[in-house]
Amino acid sequence: MKKTLIHGGILCTMAGENDIFTGDVLVEDGKISQVAPAITAEDAEVIDATDYYVMPGLIDAHTHIGLFDFNSDKSVDDANEMTDPVSAAMDARYSFNIKARELKVAYEHGITTMLFTPGSGDVFCGQPFVAKTYGDNIFDMTVKAPAAVKIALGGNPKNTFGDLNRLPMTRMGVAHVLWETFRKAKEYLDKKEKGEKQDYDANMEAIIPALRGEIPCKIHCTQYDMLTAIEVAKAYGVRFSLEHAWGASDYLEEIVESGCDICYGPIATYRAPGERRRVDVEAVKMLDDRGVNVAIITDSPILSEESLYHHMGEAVREGLAQERVIRMVTINPATQLGLEDRLGSLEAGKDADIILVKGKLGLDTDARVHLTMINGQVVYQR
Amino acid sequence: MYLIKNGTVHIGNGEVIENCDVLTEGKLIRKVGCHLPEEGAEVIDATGCHVFPGFIDPVSSIGAMGIPSRYPDNNERTDPVVPEMNLRYSIDPDEVNAQEFYKSGITTVGLSAASNNLMGGQIAVCKTAPQRMGKRLVKEHAGLKCSVTSSVKSTFGSKDQLPMTRMGAFHLFKETLRAARAEEAEKRTTKQKAIIEVFDELKMPVFCAAQSKGEIDGLLHMMKDEKVQLNIVDAFDFAGSVEELKKQNVGLVIGNVNNCSQIAKYGMDLSKVVDLVENGNLIAFTNTNGGYSEGREVFLWTAIELYRAGVAAEDIVKMMCLYPAQMLGIEDRVGTLEEGKEADLSVFTGHPVTTYAASVAHSMVNGEVLF
Repeated sequence: MKKTLIHGGILCTMAGENDIFTGDVLVEDGKISQVAPAITAEDAEVIDATDYYVMPGLIDAHTHIGLFDFNSDKSVDDANEMTDPVSAAMDARYSFNIKARELKVAYEHGITTMLFTPGSGDVFCGQPFVAKTYGDNIFDMTVKAPAAVKIALGGNPKNTFGDLNRLPMTRMGVAHVLWETFRKAKEYLDKKEKGEKQDYDANMEAIIPALRGEIPCKIHCTQYDMLTAIEVAKAYGVRFSLEHAWGASDYLEEIVESGCDICYGPIATYRAPGERRRVDVEAVKMLDDRGVNVAIITDSPILSEESLYHHMGEAVREGLAQERVIRMVTINPATQLGLEDRLGSLEAGKDADIILVKGKLGLDTDARVHLTMINGQVVYQR
Repeated sequence: MYLIKNGTVHIGNGEVIENCDVLTEGKLIRKVGCHLPEEGAEVIDATGCHVFPGFIDPVSSIGAMGIPSRYPDNNERTDPVVPEMNLRYSIDPDEVNAQEFYKSGITTVGLSAASNNLMGGQIAVCKTAPQRMGKRLVKEHAGLKCSVTSSVKSTFGSKDQLPMTRMGAFHLFKETLRAARAEEAEKRTTKQKAIIEVFDELKMPVFCAAQSKGEIDGLLHMMKDEKVQLNIVDAFDFAGSVEELKKQNVGLVIGNVNNCSQIAKYGMDLSKVVDLVENGNLIAFTNTNGGYSEGREVFLWTAIELYRAGVAAEDIVKMMCLYPAQMLGIEDRVGTLEEGKEADLSVFTGHPVTTYAASVAHSMVNGEVLF
């Protein structure tokens, strides 16, 4: 049994309060077996972490790496099926390019887990999955699939189907598709539970786990589209997060009251009337202060994966404490995805996804990961 | 009169003065120094803060796109060669205002054509602050925006029109230049007159977008005997052509590296910029990639990526201040905090290159305090 002792680092465990102290982490067989101020393990290989921050691997809860492929001159879109506004059954793992160069960027920056999601070209866009960022087979790297039902409101599905002269061409059309699809899925589920005979429908099957509360809906929306998302999601009692969420500061009360989660980002867009009217990274602090679970996301490779640091930094620039922003890329997204038993903090029993960092991520612009461990294996060392 | 008092003042040319004051009068900087007299001046306390000249993005699209409209106002894609277009007529002050550029310390932008034309139009430089348009314009005809990127071939090739290939693009560029020079002066078209003004009369520099090594090397080869100052825009794959860039003393306006993961795509080695700086090449950067601008925040992100790659913080400050001013030929008016220059400055709560905990506490453009 392989044992590794990460010794003498400044631990940022993300477990409860008082989560920063100098101490040791013991790793056995790919899992964290102990976290304490001092651990004796004579048979363990020792990694000296003196002067390094030791943290759980970072999580980016909304990326399209390997699905949107910018690695060749002509970019490839395997993220948007766009032949039917209800494409809920599409499993993103089958679109994934394991050779995407951005994966290396991710684990070298300490990002050890990602949610890879279909794009927003449909209303029901497909099935995202959660995977580790190091490996040579995406099916082996996968932690959870399906991990969510990806839904999109606003300009993306409107433009896709409007261009084809098909429903939905308008926001009201998008809302209609959303209501109708959930209604049908609920009926389908009711019949299924009663054992009534019906034709198999892969899209309805894909929505059932959300109706049962097993996985969340991740709903792409900005500005006033949030109200539509909240209204429909509440009506069907699904867990959900608002993705991107530009303009959230205008809808704080509705968000808090709904109990939903937020995946905020990316913020690097020009401002223009409509969906880009208000890009308010300051909302991250307002939401956090109100007890909302906020994750910070990059939407990579649309924005680079390394921009996760910049996104964290912009929230800090707007007044968020560095200790809080770290939670938004570790324990917060882990909890949103129902993976807090495996990921997001340094606690006994969790996956040994651990990073050693010089400097404070999200504060010091030159903070740098010196070692990345995934499932107990050192995959990067500077 | 304003006295910005007791800050760490970054002149913009690499020099930093601690506990330093900046005195402004009207539109201009009257004096920079320690312990300046306060009489008659409104005092802005900059204790513990960093004072920078307004940053300059030399090739912005946003501000000249005319959103919302069906056709972006900086993209006259009816002809691959439109050097006579003047971007001044496309500036939309409301679009500039909506960006709140000054919240990231950016007070001057060079509004430019997108990258779809071989020669797309002449850059117009303006201030970013919400003042009357007449007071904002710094300079028109500040540079000719060109492009040899794949955007040109996808724009015209898709219409079965020259250029459909990279060789087609370079052929048309060279042929256009040759034909303009060959034509008798009085018979030259408006286009040809504009080309001669740029390439022979040297009335403005060239800002040409090129991203891949093939595009950059082709451009350097085509331009090696030209006298006009060349600045390469985007330039993501520059690191493999450093020696030639040094030899020709070409400027670089590094594109928005975080957009569409350019660092991963090109395996960018940003540390190579140090070589160029030592050689005297002018370096700047822009919010734009492929002729499309993103929000004000990404300007500082590129600065941070350079810092992470090992470029010294004060060299990066030059790339945000003095160098882009020199590229656009406006260094007599903006780009450094020196007596007689226009009072464009930002008081940051920290050094925005070295810490994220750096926000703009006060911003001043043309001697007027915005906040």
